[in-house]
Amino acid sequence: MTQNPLEKERSLLKRGWWLILLIIASMIAPFILTEFYLTILCEALVMSLFALSFNLLFGYMGQLSFGQAAFYGLGGYAVAMFVTKVNFNFWLSLLAGPILAALIGLIVGFFCVRLRGIYFAILTLAFGQLIFVIIFKWHKFTGGDDGIQGVFPPAYLKSAMAYYYLILFVFLASAFILWRIINSPLGQTMKAMRENSERTEFLGIHIAKYQLITFVIAAAFSGLAGAIWVPFYRSVAPAYLTWIKSGEPVMAAILGGSSTFFGPILGMFIMTFFHAYVLGFTHFWPVIMGTLILIIIFLLPGGILGFAQEKLKERRNRQNQLTEE
Amino acid sequence: MFLQTQEIIKDFGKLRAVNNVSLEIRKGDVHAIIGPNGAGKSTYFNLITGYHRVDSGKVLFKGEDITGLPSYRRCKIGITRSFQRTSIYPKLSVYEGVLMGLLSHRGVTLNPFSSAKKFFKEEVWHILEDVGLADQANTLGDSISHGDKKRLELAITLGAEPELLLLDEPTCGMSPEETDSTMVLIKKLSEERGITILFTEHDMGVVFGIAKRISVLHQGTLIADGKPEEVRSSEEVQKVYLGGVK
Repeated sequence: MTQNPLEKERSLLKRGWWLILLIIASMIAPFILTEFYLTILCEALVMSLFALSFNLLFGYMGQLSFGQAAFYGLGGYAVAMFVTKVNFNFWLSLLAGPILAALIGLIVGFFCVRLRGIYFAILTLAFGQLIFVIIFKWHKFTGGDDGIQGVFPPAYLKSAMAYYYLILFVFLASAFILWRIINSPLGQTMKAMRENSERTEFLGIHIAKYQLITFVIAAAFSGLAGAIWVPFYRSVAPAYLTWIKSGEPVMAAILGGSSTFFGPILGMFIMTFFHAYVLGFTHFWPVIMGTLILIIIFLLPGGILGFAQEKLKERRNRQNQLTEE
Repeated sequence: MFLQTQEIIKDFGKLRAVNNVSLEIRKGDVHAIIGPNGAGKSTYFNLITGYHRVDSGKVLFKGEDITGLPSYRRCKIGITRSFQRTSIYPKLSVYEGVLMGLLSHRGVTLNPFSSAKKFFKEEVWHILEDVGLADQANTLGDSISHGDKKRLELAITLGAEPELLLLDEPTCGMSPEETDSTMVLIKKLSEERGITILFTEHDMGVVFGIAKRISVLHQGTLIADGKPEEVRSSEEVQKVYLGGVK
């Protein structure tokens, strides 16, 4: 049965409503939340952007990158160095983050897209750790394990509230762009490569080229996430590039549902706020997070939103069958 | 001259899978490649589509040497294929699968901003109606029946708007009724869209029912090539192949 266009329109509107509500809520959040929770919200938004960029590779192109934090960290280091060392214009420094991440992504991706599955994951992990080690050891240039402190935004962005709106804007704009990409012909090609790369190649698609394009886009947005975070936190450290950091978007995507666009955002929000809350009374956060992930994997395969979507589809199918009968 | 292979050879270790095959496929023909299991039919397909590289010899398409072209380039210039084990997009809708071929062949896959669904609606529906899958357009690829999956793969390849379409056992695993309707469909596609079709098939009824030309491979060597009646009356073919069936 082909879907009635009018019905589709209506469901789109319905879908749009909760989104508009969420955006309004995020606009007024700074007036309601305490500064502590506003900081957490900033972190959740930045990490959500990081998770979205990661999920372009994982959920849409079907390859697990385990070195994505390298690009997040490079974005952060780019802005930190431009701001502190050469006293560069703040906005141009911000822009340097995604540009540097995209350039390094082009080099790393060139090698990684030749591999698939676990080999792709291992190679991204290896490159990620390589970049981490370079930054960690190159003390003279990067500050080594001290990192870089004193990365201040311009005076008008120094308050948490002002900077929150900058983060919110960057997040919404990036999410919108990524949303457009995954629904575009380019995004359709990513999904086709995920589903069946052999079939797609025999439709005339140069797989390595398109995977590289996706890789670079993902790296750029990861870099943007890192770049926007560092001036808020006022510092950057090599820990931003480690495999532990790379694991966070992986967990967020699995938790929220990698097959959905909003899944990684939900996953990251749960992780970030839960983390802040749990740290209030125990340091055993990884144990609790691990348990949560296990529960989700076993009880809600496909993640929270993935599972919900599946259930909704089943229900709709059942209703369709009933009306047909 | 449409497609021509000149003395192509392919070895897998010590096994010579395709041995010195020179063959011409004429534009507009429905051309069958037959032969017993292991005769080298699939390998021959793989050499034409670029899935494997030839060890020696040449593949020419419309006068152009395409021997060294990667498979995606061959597809761009008009050669598309189906696979023996059905190759579709399990988690994309039937509609999206067909759309993918069109997006690729018409060169818009680098567009990152427009909505993919707005492209080539008419063409996709036309193909879906031709293959009889229009009523399942929104169904996921892995939730349709086996016969429909085979037809979906055909539809996906049609999206790439091929001039030469290679079908590797297009009716494999189908019921007799499905086989009949598929053969009618293939004939129709060849006639209405002017697509040249090269196919392999086990079912001799199907082959002699639809093919304008038949080539017979045996142990990697071409032993006969011609009109169905010529092939049927060839002594060598009867000896190595048809004789065993009859």
